[in-house]
Amino acid sequence: MQIEISNVRFVYPSGVEALRGVSFSVPAGQMLAIVGQNGAGKTTLVKQLNGLLKPSSGTIMIGDLDTSKSTIAKLSARVGYVFQNPDDQLFKRTVADEIAVGPTNLGFSKEDTERYVKRAVELMELEDKLETNPYDLTPTWRKRVAIAAVLAMNTPIVVLDEPTTGQDHRNINYLGRVMQQLASEGKTIVAISHDIDFVADYFERVIAMSQGQVLLDGPCDEVFAQEELLAQSYVEAPQLTRLGKRLGFAKTVSREESFLAALREARPRS
Amino acid sequence: MNETIGLYIDRDSPLHRLNPLTKVVFTICIVILGFISPWAWITFAIPVLILIPMSFWGQIGVPYLRALLKIVVPLALILLVMQSLFLPGETTWFRFWFLSVEYESVERSLTLVSRLVSMTASFILFLFSTHPSRLMTDLTRRGVSPIVTYLFISTIQLIPLMRTKANTIMDAQRARGLETEGNIVTRSKALMPMLAPLVFGSLVDVEERAIAIEARAFRVPGKRTHLTIVPDSQAQHLFRIALIVLTVVLIGVRLWLSLTS
Repeated sequence: MQIEISNVRFVYPSGVEALRGVSFSVPAGQMLAIVGQNGAGKTTLVKQLNGLLKPSSGTIMIGDLDTSKSTIAKLSARVGYVFQNPDDQLFKRTVADEIAVGPTNLGFSKEDTERYVKRAVELMELEDKLETNPYDLTPTWRKRVAIAAVLAMNTPIVVLDEPTTGQDHRNINYLGRVMQQLASEGKTIVAISHDIDFVADYFERVIAMSQGQVLLDGPCDEVFAQEELLAQSYVEAPQLTRLGKRLGFAKTVSREESFLAALREARPRS
Repeated sequence: MNETIGLYIDRDSPLHRLNPLTKVVFTICIVILGFISPWAWITFAIPVLILIPMSFWGQIGVPYLRALLKIVVPLALILLVMQSLFLPGETTWFRFWFLSVEYESVERSLTLVSRLVSMTASFILFLFSTHPSRLMTDLTRRGVSPIVTYLFISTIQLIPLMRTKANTIMDAQRARGLETEGNIVTRSKALMPMLAPLVFGSLVDVEERAIAIEARAFRVPGKRTHLTIVPDSQAQHLFRIALIVLTVVLIGVRLWLSLTS
């Protein structure tokens, strides 16, 4: 399902203008990362996608639904939103019950609910924790439960706010692979992240925001090549990009494979 | 200390600049005066003649009046009606259907309501014009236990924090398709998904805070130093003593009047 954002402005009741004419579209099945300094408007922007906030002006279309004219309940069937802190949403006694909350809220049949819950549980590897109380799990696993709870809603769009916060390296990579798998199945993935190496490793497109505006938008390598503009959004290019630059690579690289390819190109075997 | 916290309204006024202890003593004396006054009209006159002018002196007149109208007036009216209707009395003033209003019950409810109005109005003025941190800093310097002051200040700080947390939790649940608006049944259903994360989250926060302050030598015994000294003056010191003396004298007069009448 496509996301179409046209000239969106958003002003908080306090008068703070958090978004200043943001426009872009995200085709179905794309993995988009939004980066930028704190207060750049990232969370304000993604909260508009499921109607938690409504644009002061401009429009956001989720497929054929205008978010300004739709309720959160209606939009939640299209846009799943994983909050930064899993503890903000967990309230059931068991992991299984927690994951089933979203599908039952959306009125799915018993069969569909069971099917989607099973799929979400498998994706997040929660099979042996189904009867555990979510609050007895470590923060890492609680995060997985929170993500599974949203995935079980089977929304065509999944938004994740800082999915790697508090996660160890293994979990970050696991999460990245799950997101790639979901994207390959046609789901649109939008994630806010400060973890620039994670963004470079798993996302095909990145938007850098600064002061409520889109500063850079494009494939990772293209965006990370714009060092000066990137610095304006308080983002540092990934380690591999910086290393490649210091090694004098002709093109910008941000992933391991492209780095190794560039290295081989720069130093051909004799 | 300019951030919004509790009910405090930030202004640069003479009332705000008064030492917090002066305002504590003043508030307590006003409340006592309201309770010992034999006539309800004197107690009612306290907010009108003293507290409201003081709020304008403190540049918070409009929000103060708004708060009185929103909180104190409805509460006072409800109490006045209920007490007048249900307190027993002898001299019937008027009767309507099965309800009767007696002169004595109206008199007693007026006394009760006047005390409530005077007490609430003085506390609101105190909270509007006194920053909790300033109050606690001053009290700690005067020897009040830091544990007591921490409990007080953390409770006040918790209110806006919990409000923010509650909003985030509500957003998180609504994003999962939970209906939070509508009739009473819908709202009741939304209560559990809201309350559980709020309560558990708050308990975790409290534990983390406790550990954090312990790690910053909160309960280390011995003398403490104070970085901030809240200004006080000899005039305010004398004013506080005068207020206390006056209140003690008035209590004495009231007791004497009660014993002789």
